[in-house]
Amino acid sequence: MLKIFIGFVIFAGLAMFVIMQGGDSLDMGGEKHGADAVHAPAEAASVAASAASADASAAK
Amino acid sequence: MATLDVDRPMSAEEKKVIFASSLGTVFEWYDFYLYGSLAAIIAKQFFSGLDEGSAFIFALLAFAAGFIVRPFGAIFFGRLGDMIGRKYTFLVTILIMGLSTFVVGVLPNYASIGVAAPVILICLRLLQGLALGGEYGGAATYVAEHAPHDKRGAYTSWIQTTATLGLFLSLMVILGTRTAIGEEAFADWGWRVPFIVSIALLAVSVYIRLSMNESPAFAKMKAEGKTSKAPLTESFGQWKNLKIVILALIGLTAGQAVVWYSGQFYALFFLTQALKVDGATANILVAVSLLIGTPFFIVFGSLSDKIGRKPIIMLGCLLAVLTYFPVFEALTKAANPDLYAAQQASKVVVTSDVNECSFQFNPTGTVKFTSSCDIAKQVLASSSVSYENVAGPAGAPATIKIGEVEIASYSSKGLPADEAKAKSAEFKKAVAEALKAAGYPAKADPAKVDKVKITIILTYLVILVTMVYGPIAAMLVEMFPTKIRYTSMSLPYHIGNGWFGGLLPTTAFAIVAQTGNMYNGLWYPIIIAGMTFVIGMIFVKETKDVDIYAED
Repeated sequence: MLKIFIGFVIFAGLAMFVIMQGGDSLDMGGEKHGADAVHAPAEAASVAASAASADASAAK
Repeated sequence: MATLDVDRPMSAEEKKVIFASSLGTVFEWYDFYLYGSLAAIIAKQFFSGLDEGSAFIFALLAFAAGFIVRPFGAIFFGRLGDMIGRKYTFLVTILIMGLSTFVVGVLPNYASIGVAAPVILICLRLLQGLALGGEYGGAATYVAEHAPHDKRGAYTSWIQTTATLGLFLSLMVILGTRTAIGEEAFADWGWRVPFIVSIALLAVSVYIRLSMNESPAFAKMKAEGKTSKAPLTESFGQWKNLKIVILALIGLTAGQAVVWYSGQFYALFFLTQALKVDGATANILVAVSLLIGTPFFIVFGSLSDKIGRKPIIMLGCLLAVLTYFPVFEALTKAANPDLYAAQQASKVVVTSDVNECSFQFNPTGTVKFTSSCDIAKQVLASSSVSYENVAGPAGAPATIKIGEVEIASYSSKGLPADEAKAKSAEFKKAVAEALKAAGYPAKADPAKVDKVKITIILTYLVILVTMVYGPIAAMLVEMFPTKIRYTSMSLPYHIGNGWFGGLLPTTAFAIVAQTGNMYNGLWYPIIIAGMTFVIGMIFVKETKDVDIYAED
């Protein structure tokens, strides 16, 4: 158990280092579905973003 | 078969069983997060050349890959697992998963092979969805059938920790590649590396799984010729078992799923989209809380061996129901106190013809909400504004009143693209200026973000996740007999998590836009978790002392 704990602490430290380096370029929001999965940048960011931008893309 | 308990440490064979099974679920999560993190790049590589009609169809197929196909995979591979064995079935699922992920990494893009590229990509996603549907049930069943009677909760809880492991693993590989080759090369070809790297995970998983023995319970059943000839009929065609499947869904996995999605994904979404905390800070705070919370999967899994699965899962659901509103309100005060103050001080009113207001539920992302009412509400909801709805005259365009300023909304239906964009920009600018004047912050002030308090709140939410998710695998396994266990437990798990959990973000947004209160999205997880609590308390029986081999 001690080995697992030490391993986890090392893993956690490494993970935090990576996330701090990544800044806001990392998306931890999980899998994207539907239009979020096939529309590039602006609309892919979030459900709210895609919903909110629906007006702008309505006439595309 | 491990039936009698002795108070002994985990054997080397048992450790290997847990490791081999967990590796597959790490794969599942690794892939899940790869597609999330790289969605924008993948969309650009494979879908950017499509016309609007084709993009619509691919959006529906991408939705199907996530939501529809997995339950079919649960049924398909569950049936196989109950007929030919756990070992070979989840060997097949991981092979399909791993090879599909790898092929994405070497698949030519739209620029190279045209429409064949997105078609093949979607086919691979559908294959992955099928395999995913069979993976979790196999892993949980396999581990549980190797575990001593009174340690099934502890042993299976290791599988539950793999969500965090998969997340961080994917982030490490993505960022490692980015750092090594640079942003430009990553967007061009480097994004393929994380997919190709998965072949190494696959090789290790297959090697280990090949060396494993079949589950002793299934091997015994097969040797005696007692395996089910028709697992689907026995699982879902006979009321005696079907009612337990339904109870497992609405009395367990539905509530577990919404608590999980709320604690991890919705909390992050709420921080960045509603409270306007910058992405980097939100990622760090969520990551810290996930890392603090992860050991609690083991804690609650082990505890469930002593006090029962049901009390822990039900308490997790109950706490979610009772505390989500105050906890998310506390999150607002800690992350963006200026927004909280503005919400209390400024009255915003949307006046609209109620007949042109939609419930903006848009799970596939393909519906366009174009009425003046819908556009007004989208803009306000995205700005985290609490507003009051007032019925206006029929046919009149909606208006937004912020303090003394009144802004007329517009309908984008039938407008040319350029005009729609211009009107959208003009309208958003007017709303933003009025909101600014009313004290609404465009972003959370970094100096006022209370990181310690936010971390405590997020950790609490993650601990609720561990309460409902830690013991769930053991409980699902114990609800069904060996001969139809794989089939019966996989379906409620995937419908619960895929449908009830997966629809949380879009349902919550629709409720927020409809009602004008950014907390009202929480009604969705609260109602589902409440339903699970009530049904679970009344109808679901405790399973920790069940002899899972009694009917073998």
